[in-house]
Amino acid sequence: MNRLGRLACRGLLLLGLVGSPAVAEETLNVPAAPGSGPGAALVVHGALDLPQMRPLLEGFHREHPDLAVRYRNLTTLALHERFLARPDEADVLLSSAMPWQYRLANEGHARALESPAARRWPAWARWRQELFAITFEPIVMVVNEAVIERFGEVRGHADLLALLERHAEALRGRVVTYDPATSGAGYTYAIEESRLSPRYWDLVAALGQADTALAETTGEMLEGLIEGRYLVGYNLLGSYARERLADQPQLRIVVPEDYALVTQRLALIPRQAPHPAAAARFLDYLIGETGQALLARETPLGAIHPAVEGPGTATSLRQERGEALRPITLGPGLLATLDDLKREALLARWRREFSRRGER
Amino acid sequence: MKRGDSLYRRLLGWLLLPLLVLGSLILIQAWVDAQRTADRAFDRLLEAASLAIAEQVQWQDDRLWLDLPPAALEMLATDAEERVFYSLVDGQGRLITGNAALPGDPRQGPGDADTLLYRHIDWQGLSLRQGVRRTRLEEWRVREPFEVRVAHSREGRDTLAARLWRANLTMILAMAALATVGLLLAIRAALTPLTRLRRAIRARDPRTLAPLELSLPRELAELRDTVNELLARMRRVRANQERFIGDASHQLRTPLAGLSARAELALRHDDPARWREALVAMQATSARTARLAVQLLSLTRLANPEYRPELVPLELNAIARQAIRDHWASCHRQGVDLGVESAGGEVWIRGIDWLLAEAIGNLIDNACRYGGQRVTVQVQAAPPRLVVEDDGPGIPSQRRLLMLRPFHRDREDVEGSGLGLAIVDGIARTHGARLKLSAGHDGRGLSVALQFPGDTP
Repeated sequence: MNRLGRLACRGLLLLGLVGSPAVAEETLNVPAAPGSGPGAALVVHGALDLPQMRPLLEGFHREHPDLAVRYRNLTTLALHERFLARPDEADVLLSSAMPWQYRLANEGHARALESPAARRWPAWARWRQELFAITFEPIVMVVNEAVIERFGEVRGHADLLALLERHAEALRGRVVTYDPATSGAGYTYAIEESRLSPRYWDLVAALGQADTALAETTGEMLEGLIEGRYLVGYNLLGSYARERLADQPQLRIVVPEDYALVTQRLALIPRQAPHPAAAARFLDYLIGETGQALLARETPLGAIHPAVEGPGTATSLRQERGEALRPITLGPGLLATLDDLKREALLARWRREFSRRGER
Repeated sequence: MKRGDSLYRRLLGWLLLPLLVLGSLILIQAWVDAQRTADRAFDRLLEAASLAIAEQVQWQDDRLWLDLPPAALEMLATDAEERVFYSLVDGQGRLITGNAALPGDPRQGPGDADTLLYRHIDWQGLSLRQGVRRTRLEEWRVREPFEVRVAHSREGRDTLAARLWRANLTMILAMAALATVGLLLAIRAALTPLTRLRRAIRARDPRTLAPLELSLPRELAELRDTVNELLARMRRVRANQERFIGDASHQLRTPLAGLSARAELALRHDDPARWREALVAMQATSARTARLAVQLLSLTRLANPEYRPELVPLELNAIARQAIRDHWASCHRQGVDLGVESAGGEVWIRGIDWLLAEAIGNLIDNACRYGGQRVTVQVQAAPPRLVVEDDGPGIPSQRRLLMLRPFHRDREDVEGSGLGLAIVDGIARTHGARLKLSAGHDGRGLSVALQFPGDTP
């Protein structure tokens, strides 16, 4: 509340935080500065929690005080369904559900952004001029220092596989990962990893052998790790882990050395956006150097902009991990993720491998 | 000068126009070709993707099953980041899976063979190229037909087609530029002889009528020869004029010299009777000279090709009778029998009455002078003719044409100017009539006929 008070004193900014559990909808309103014309508004729908979104909106408001911004925080699923029901409601959609965002753009629901910043944006982080990745978040492992002390360093997937296979009894029930059947993110990582290497299935089998707990969100896994219920967490969202574990020295975040998936939050401007000009300004800000620097400084989300450096940014991570980083490709391969039969086939395989324990 | 009047521009226009039409056709053809080539290249992607998907189709849990290979979709998107759509449809047209309900292959195929259809479709406002693969599952017991439908947007094709076309365009434009330059040079070279001819004509002395000596291509050589013919005619005309002027001045000098001599002779005497005699003679001479001058004047006027007097309808019998009345007295004095033979009815021609009267007068005068005793003026109807016939000595047929030349006299002993027949010839030409000299009735004398244009039977 300290920041809120400071802003209220300035009298420029009024932040309204309406938390209503009934509709599971949080909104954040940033009114326009006094004296600006009416009708200048911007509606942002995002799957990004308010603590991370607030500094971005404040930074945007500093540059464009004439716009009244309304941010609505939704789950990725709610955001997607709300858009399909009312495609003319939001000006900007911001979501970490990459396949869904990609699908919307693929079907022509997105409006192209033609600006110098958009043209300079790295090709791997955008699709056409319609879909822009604005964050760079590696998928990490979290390992309790006790495990490292006892069984040695865990630097990558091969180490994890060896650890699970050798010490399955010691780690039984103390490992946690995403449940691909209930978590969209977990499913996306599973499909990407299975494409990267067939040894992924050995890892799944090993995880199953260790009676790995299955969680639905990164937050859930982090809580279990902090509480000490779990010793090893596999496939956690790096940005959340970095922020949450800042004061937990017993838990080490491992960005795998052999390969590390990188997920990105995708932003698009709907074709029927009510305020397309304002939307273009906001997106331009998000991919501009100012916005990205702010994103790197004040949020745990990694910045993509090549000129922005610092912990967690794409530039620094690449210097550190180089070729091992595997950003999820913004391409039609994401459509396969959404295929129902594909999903059934993959989950069936996953379940089969996970429960192979009895055969050994 | 008007724009269209330049031979250079006209040639250029008529040569460039077909070139332009041809060029446009080539451009259109190049565009169609580029699109076809791009489509052929990119259709391979549709083929490969649909095959990759079809190969993954299985029969599982009593239904069609597809483990969609992401690479199949990724190969449909090139650098141009195409939008990609796919669907799997069973034999009954039910959608098994896919991200878009794409239309199927409308053809009623036999269903056995693996068929592939490419086409353009508009799907939800997007312009797509679609590939539909119709095939069937070949398992031990299941023969299930199905269709794999894939489609992608056209950006990659359009980019490739545009690039191919631009490459062609550059070549075609370069060729057109070369052709135009060649054309300009060719026309300039072809028109050079014309410039030479112009310069040669301009550089000539305006008084000379010498032929043009200049080697030219065939088409212009004809023009040069025509000009040379014209020049030759002008040389002849000028020679005729010079001779005529010489003859005329000679003719006028003789009576004037006579007058001068007569006056000088009379002045040597003091006798008024001599003076009177001389004056009478001088009056006769000067009257003759005046008549000569009148004849020269009318001949000059008739010889002028620009002289086009207006012709009016005339009745020939009346003209002939009037001439008889005018000349009867003088003929009678010389003892010549002057008669007229009119035609049965009226004979109308177009002419000028005083010129015809002059012609008849000249002919009667000639007939009397050259020894005719009996002169007949005849009018004939069809064709309209005016004939003056005498019974004099006549003119041998080989000399008759010479008689038409001015100042030519058949006999030097008879007094006359030698202009009479030349004037009649001029009058005949003015009327568009033919002058015909022949022997008179039963081979004696001379018959001069003016045959007018008109009802020639």
